[in-house]
Amino acid sequence: MGFLSPWFLAGAAAVGLPLYLHLLRRHTTTPHPFSSLMFFEHRTQSSIRHRKLRYLLLLSLRLALLILLALAFANPYLKRTAVSASGDKLMLIVVDNSFSMRAGTRLADAKKQAENLLSSRAPSRRAQVAELGSQLHVLTQPVQDPASLRSAVESIQAGDARGSFGELARAVGSMEDSAHVPIEVHLFSDMQRSDMPASFAEMALPPNVSLVLHAVGNKAEPNWAVESVNAPSRVWDPKKARVTAVIAGYQTPAATRTASLVVNGKTIDSKKVNVPANGRATVEFQSLDVPYGLSRCEIQIDSGDALAADDRYLFAVERSDPQHVLFVHEARDSRSPLFFGSALASSAEASFALESVPAERVAGLDPSKYAFVVLSDAASLPSQFENDLQQYVRRGAGVLVAVGTSSAHRAKVPVFGADIMGAHSYLEDSARYLTVGEADSSYPAMAGGQGWAGVRFYYAVAVDPADSRVVAKLSDQTPLLLEKKMGEGRVLLFASGLDNLTNDFPSGPLFVPFVKQTARYLSGTQDRNGSRIVDSFLELRTAKDQAVSVEVIDPAGRRPLSIEQATTAQSFQLTDAGFYEVRLANGRHDLVGVNADRRESNLEPISDDVLALWRGAGNSNGQQAAAAGAAAESEPAKPSSIWWYAMLLVLVAALAESFVAARYLTAQAEES
Amino acid sequence: MQRFLNPSVLAEISSLDLIAKIVVDGFVAGLHRSPDFGFSQEFAEYRAYTPGDDLRHVDWNVFARTERAYLKRYRGETNSLLTVLLDASNSMNYTSHKITKMDYARFAAASLFYLAIHNQRDAAGLIVFDDEVRNYIRPSTRQGQINRLLHGLDLAEPRARTDFAKPLHHFQEFLRRRGIVLMISDFYETPERIIRTIEPLRFHGNEIVLFHVLDPREIKPDLDGPAILVDLETNDHLEVTPEYARDEYPQKIQGHIAALREAAQGAGMDYFLLQTDQPLDAALREYLTIRQGRN
Repeated sequence: MGFLSPWFLAGAAAVGLPLYLHLLRRHTTTPHPFSSLMFFEHRTQSSIRHRKLRYLLLLSLRLALLILLALAFANPYLKRTAVSASGDKLMLIVVDNSFSMRAGTRLADAKKQAENLLSSRAPSRRAQVAELGSQLHVLTQPVQDPASLRSAVESIQAGDARGSFGELARAVGSMEDSAHVPIEVHLFSDMQRSDMPASFAEMALPPNVSLVLHAVGNKAEPNWAVESVNAPSRVWDPKKARVTAVIAGYQTPAATRTASLVVNGKTIDSKKVNVPANGRATVEFQSLDVPYGLSRCEIQIDSGDALAADDRYLFAVERSDPQHVLFVHEARDSRSPLFFGSALASSAEASFALESVPAERVAGLDPSKYAFVVLSDAASLPSQFENDLQQYVRRGAGVLVAVGTSSAHRAKVPVFGADIMGAHSYLEDSARYLTVGEADSSYPAMAGGQGWAGVRFYYAVAVDPADSRVVAKLSDQTPLLLEKKMGEGRVLLFASGLDNLTNDFPSGPLFVPFVKQTARYLSGTQDRNGSRIVDSFLELRTAKDQAVSVEVIDPAGRRPLSIEQATTAQSFQLTDAGFYEVRLANGRHDLVGVNADRRESNLEPISDDVLALWRGAGNSNGQQAAAAGAAAESEPAKPSSIWWYAMLLVLVAALAESFVAARYLTAQAEES
Repeated sequence: MQRFLNPSVLAEISSLDLIAKIVVDGFVAGLHRSPDFGFSQEFAEYRAYTPGDDLRHVDWNVFARTERAYLKRYRGETNSLLTVLLDASNSMNYTSHKITKMDYARFAAASLFYLAIHNQRDAAGLIVFDDEVRNYIRPSTRQGQINRLLHGLDLAEPRARTDFAKPLHHFQEFLRRRGIVLMISDFYETPERIIRTIEPLRFHGNEIVLFHVLDPREIKPDLDGPAILVDLETNDHLEVTPEYARDEYPQKIQGHIAALREAAQGAGMDYFLLQTDQPLDAALREYLTIRQGRN
């Protein structure tokens, strides 16, 4: 114990004042008049004894008051170690259980270090345990009980999520805001570079939070991984299906790896692939011979590295008969079905069979039998068929309408309903053609390729977009591609023809991906994807499928959705790697292969200077706190002021003195 | 009426005349206005006539109604002479509540004067003394006597100390006619000395009554702690413990009262203890009742 302002102790000399006053008071007595002392006798000794007792209590209180006041101003302090000084600081144990922690013994090492820290923790200090994946999951409340903390650490299992230090900073910031106590974060992690957010500022911790880093496996280990697989989710002709896989090496030497295609547990093909040093190689399997129905497929490599979990990439494939597409065209138009059909067939994963029908023969056709319908410059349609098409769209289907020279004379676009304001033939202009001026590349049908500016449009029909969405415009602002929602379905309007007379689009390289994406978009198979990334969301139902039960079975065979969630959940987060079996609200069964984010496969750690910067951004006491955790006894003591307690005692003494003095004065008044 | 007879209430009334009237009226009301009580000689009883009795005392009205001769008996034939000896020493200035012993003594004396002069047509006088005679108002029935007496009581402020022996010879000079002598004092003196000093007055045929005025705290002191007491007459200081005041002092004062009462009665005097927290009319009624019974 010491004093930060010891010269204030001189004030304690003021105790002489009450001593002097009390000595004087001993000789001062107020006499009481009485009629006669004839019957009284002198009694002195007892009187003085009583008076001393009463005075001593008051005197001692007054002396204590002055001494405590001098002590409080002298600012006393106690020398306490950092651990004891941070008695109110919450120790937050964060163990990284992201996918990369599966490498070697990283997770076990992290848990062991965390347990060692808990063992060296002062028993009175509160701690909390959390695991860090894509989010921070708190496993305990702030407690002192070592058993519960230890069991929480032991319960941490390796996850498949991608770690996020930005999420750690955000979650700790929220905790600090709500708890209003300083937090000392101990992070046990492999400090993977890929866990950093895009901006370092997102990792910054609040000023009241100190960060202590405990790195495990802190070195760049070589690791090969199946980085990605490109495979159709639906196959109708195995011979035409192609599977392409990218094998990546991180901090690896050049090596030859064997990639295998496994279908339903059986290896059906293997290939050798030369992976360059610290590079990527592509391997392609020419066929995907899967049985009818849903198949569990994966690409495996023989890496022999520490992180074996990324040596396989899961995907699901469904083999089925091709879906039919109704293509309605003018009888004299033979080009558009040719171009469209060829483009549709050239897509390896397209399981569509085009059925082209002249417009005059569509009466009596039931659109509901088709995956989607294309109206290619149909000059006239039977009104019944047009009504059927509108009902077909409202029930959730898709229709592509192309308006060319034949349909330009109509007042309205069939099914789409937009007013036709005129037709532009650009051949008569000096430029002779127009190109695409604006295009929304995020739109599914436009996402298949680049270079839309190179497509020449000689003829286009001007329509009133009204409440429809304009996806692409020509350079003269004429809407080229529009989408309109109708009920549960959608109608796409292409304001030019699908032949090569009104534009050179069908003969260009963009037509095939456009047709492929449009077919998937309109048929609803665009949302189907045989493989997903961990922590992505799976759409379970559409707006028309409300209150219909869905079913999800995770890779471990459990049903993660409760009964209530099964009827209400709009989506489901895929948290584990493996195959998920799903029965969607529309009754369709699906299979999804879920893989860890391959950014986790790069085990390169964050550089030391960045880590030092992060620690500094958290709290300058971070290193000191770390050392305190390791060796609390050896920590140099730091002064901790206790003047507040002295002031509290001053207040108590003042109140007691007032009480005793008031009683004494009252007694004096009564006696006088 | 009873509320006004409380000494504390009387102390707030400045006029002695009014106080005396209130006390006496209250006292008379308590006696149901009986005409048979007072200081002068009064009707006592009827007695059957026996030969040799003075025929002047026969009640002829009774004889006319009953044809039997009865004698009308009286207790006295002449008016009395009332003299109040009032102790005005400093000790009479003590009080533990609103009214001092001196005030209480003044109220009592004033009430007795009022009773004697207004109700009985008796002569009344006053001697105020401490260690000497400070004021003397000759007993008289003249017009304005009551005012002179009350004025004398007003002027009787306590001072000096009590000495019964020194003013005694003055008493003897003043009290030549036979009558009733009321001495009002706190009697802080040994009973023997008091009686020895006053006893000569008795030899003149006076009827002597001692009114012993004490404050309730003089009989039972109440000290919270040790205290220094100052004698109001001698100015002596004495440190006293509460234990003594609680245990020994009450025994001594009660012994003094008992001894004084015994000595007074032994010398043929009446003794009455007046506590300043008692209603005045009750004290007077006690005295007059006892006196009437004795006669």
